[in-house]
Amino acid sequence: MNQTGPDGNRQKRNILSVIQDLYRQQSISMLFILIIMWIILSVLSPYFFTINNLFEITLQSAVIALIAAGESFVIFSGGIDLSVGSVFAFSAIVGGLALQFTGSIMLSILASIGAGLFAGFCNGLAIIKLKIPPFVATLGMMGIARGLALILCNGVPIYGLPRGYMWIGQGRIAGIIPVPTIIVIILFTFMFFILRNTRFGRFTYSIGSNAEATRLSGIKISSVILGIYMISGMFASIAAVIESARLGTMQPAAGNGYELLAIGSVFIGGASIFGGEGNIFASLIGALLVTTIRNGLNILGVSAFYQYVVNGLIIIFAVAADQIRRNR
Amino acid sequence: MSELLIMENINKAFFGVKVLKDVQFCLHQGEVHVILGENGAGKSTLIKILSGAYPLDSGRVFIEGKDIDMASYNPEVASRMGIVTIYQNFHLVPHLTVAENISLSNFPMKKGTIDWKVVQKTAKNVLENINFNVDPNCPVKKLSVSQKQMLEIAIALSKNAKIIIMDEPTAAISKKEVETLFQLITEIKKKNVGIIYISHKLEEIKVIGDTITILRDGRNVGTMPVGGVHLNEIVSLMIGKEMKTLEKKRSYLSREPMIEFKSFNRKGSFENINLNIGKGEIVGLTGLIGAGKTELARAIFGVDRLDTGKFYYNGCEISIRGPKEAIQHGIGYLPEDRDVSGLCLNMPVKDNVSLVYLAKLRERVFGIPAEKALAKRYIDQLKIKSTGLYQQVKYLSGGNKQKVIFAKWLAAHCQFLVLDEPTIGIDVGAREDIYNLIYDYVQAEERAVLFISSDISEVLSVSDRIVVMARGRLVAELNPNVTTKQEIMARCLNLS
Repeated sequence: MNQTGPDGNRQKRNILSVIQDLYRQQSISMLFILIIMWIILSVLSPYFFTINNLFEITLQSAVIALIAAGESFVIFSGGIDLSVGSVFAFSAIVGGLALQFTGSIMLSILASIGAGLFAGFCNGLAIIKLKIPPFVATLGMMGIARGLALILCNGVPIYGLPRGYMWIGQGRIAGIIPVPTIIVIILFTFMFFILRNTRFGRFTYSIGSNAEATRLSGIKISSVILGIYMISGMFASIAAVIESARLGTMQPAAGNGYELLAIGSVFIGGASIFGGEGNIFASLIGALLVTTIRNGLNILGVSAFYQYVVNGLIIIFAVAADQIRRNR
Repeated sequence: MSELLIMENINKAFFGVKVLKDVQFCLHQGEVHVILGENGAGKSTLIKILSGAYPLDSGRVFIEGKDIDMASYNPEVASRMGIVTIYQNFHLVPHLTVAENISLSNFPMKKGTIDWKVVQKTAKNVLENINFNVDPNCPVKKLSVSQKQMLEIAIALSKNAKIIIMDEPTAAISKKEVETLFQLITEIKKKNVGIIYISHKLEEIKVIGDTITILRDGRNVGTMPVGGVHLNEIVSLMIGKEMKTLEKKRSYLSREPMIEFKSFNRKGSFENINLNIGKGEIVGLTGLIGAGKTELARAIFGVDRLDTGKFYYNGCEISIRGPKEAIQHGIGYLPEDRDVSGLCLNMPVKDNVSLVYLAKLRERVFGIPAEKALAKRYIDQLKIKSTGLYQQVKYLSGGNKQKVIFAKWLAAHCQFLVLDEPTIGIDVGAREDIYNLIYDYVQAEERAVLFISSDISEVLSVSDRIVVMARGRLVAELNPNVTTKQEIMARCLNLS
């Protein structure tokens, strides 16, 4: 560009407006907070900034991040999925039983993912056919899926996973990068593409922004909504596979409170509670932040009981920050 | 009769557009004062100022001779001053009984609990006061529209209402109920209550009104006793002078039909609608609010189902079961409430423009550069003023928002557009842009437009042919080259 004089000024203003835009992007400010938090924690504790602990964070955050990826679709479409924590446990147990019966790792993983998809399908059906608000439909599923998880295994955790299965959660590529981290990167990139470049992704946002206008634009919103909740269920089950592999066990009580963390991650990423806006990588930053706070509290020796309080406060402050920015 | 209410030099503007200009209004005790005017003449704004819903820009209000401090005026003050608006069952709680609704704001108490005996007695008194025969223990939701109206009036009187505002009270009730309502109005006039009565039905006004005030473009163009005035006089006051400045750009020709509706029926909305729209034609559909225009538009686009009726497109019968089918047949629809059902407000201009195009697309995956090019083409073509492709639509002006919806349908290559009040809430300059858009649109081959508007001068200048709807029926077909605003208004009011 051969700009001179006033045009140069305009360029300066452009840079300024870019910075303002970045400031408006909640995800960027959250990224800063994440970095500041890492610095503070590494000053407070010599254990924090170690290679091991940093990978521990990416490992721990992998589970929450994947659930948050599915939850992102739901929240971008203006809904909410409270059932992800229970669906997480349900699909883990279904996978565990499949493993016990068939001995096949592949079948077990497919069974898990199938269970997640099925739960999401039921959520979607309840919303589009029975016209139940998403909050209520998924609240019901939260109880049903947890109950089914306990019924299926009789309340007894499943142990004794084969080494091949555990590799999904514990393996390292090139001896250093954890497999879950790779899975997170691949799936987030893929889902980013879906949201950006496919009709399904675009309609997810437009339903969240204005469902009536979307319908009047000739889009069959019921099938899009069904797909959205199935994706949410599917990601909960992928997260369940990874956590089962990491811990070497499938627990019917697993995933308790994960919905809080996943929803919190999406809101920290700056998604609107009214739908229509948001970026899936911002949800990833949200998940990293949530996990860092948990990890930091652990290292500082804060009781696990306080962590629930912190998780709740995170959601409230993330949404409050968003509201304040919007009203400005 | 002494003066109950005086409104002097009332001015009000919305976003720089003056809707009330130095309006004078005066209401006496025991008077039924009718306010008449076209849609947008300022009737409801005046009423809303009086009931405290809108602040006024300048002007003075006297109630019973007392100068009212308008700076601190609000709905609460208004109701304390005894001003009550009868909306259609606005103040009633449907699940409670008649008696409970009557005592709702002030339940009689005895030893900390509600004294139900007094509730029953109050209800009996209040209902007897207006000779209204209804079971006090009947839940309000079981009452008919007119019974609810009567109940509201009864409650208003029990709270010492001095001014009762009735906005289209006979719009949804039967002939017989209208008679009962008019008897009641005659009764309450005797109690020195003043009534402001808004209606489009001229024949009723002759029966019930004492005085009539006509508003046009936010001005009071005449206040007179109803007795001596002629209906035609009223209509010409409402319309004003015929404006000859608008030049007819198009002609009234017989054309090859492209769209045909045969006996469209939908219970409670419209009946027996037969209409042809030719290739390259703009058919203007007008009528008063509540005539069934929007209902017809929604049914054409498949949002609401037709009970019966056949839809021919280029001679072939098509069936439309939803917006999706309508769009596949090349039909587009601009809803009258563009923010509520036309736009994804917090999404970028680009995404809104491409939405229908993507809905029609076969491929599941699309390229962002191609989408950007598409949006850019229509933003340039329609001269949409925005800071860029990624500006959120909610920051655009009304005219530019409407252009975005236009662009959305143009990008999807729609052949037939149903435009429902496309210029509502848009300033004069931008209106011209929208009209030109419509003219350009039908220039291309195989295009047709159904232009729905309750603004008569707009319909007259834009349309090739005008059809008038009243009470759910098409009552007239007029040639814009020979008809007048008076004639259209008379047809809207269903005078013959």
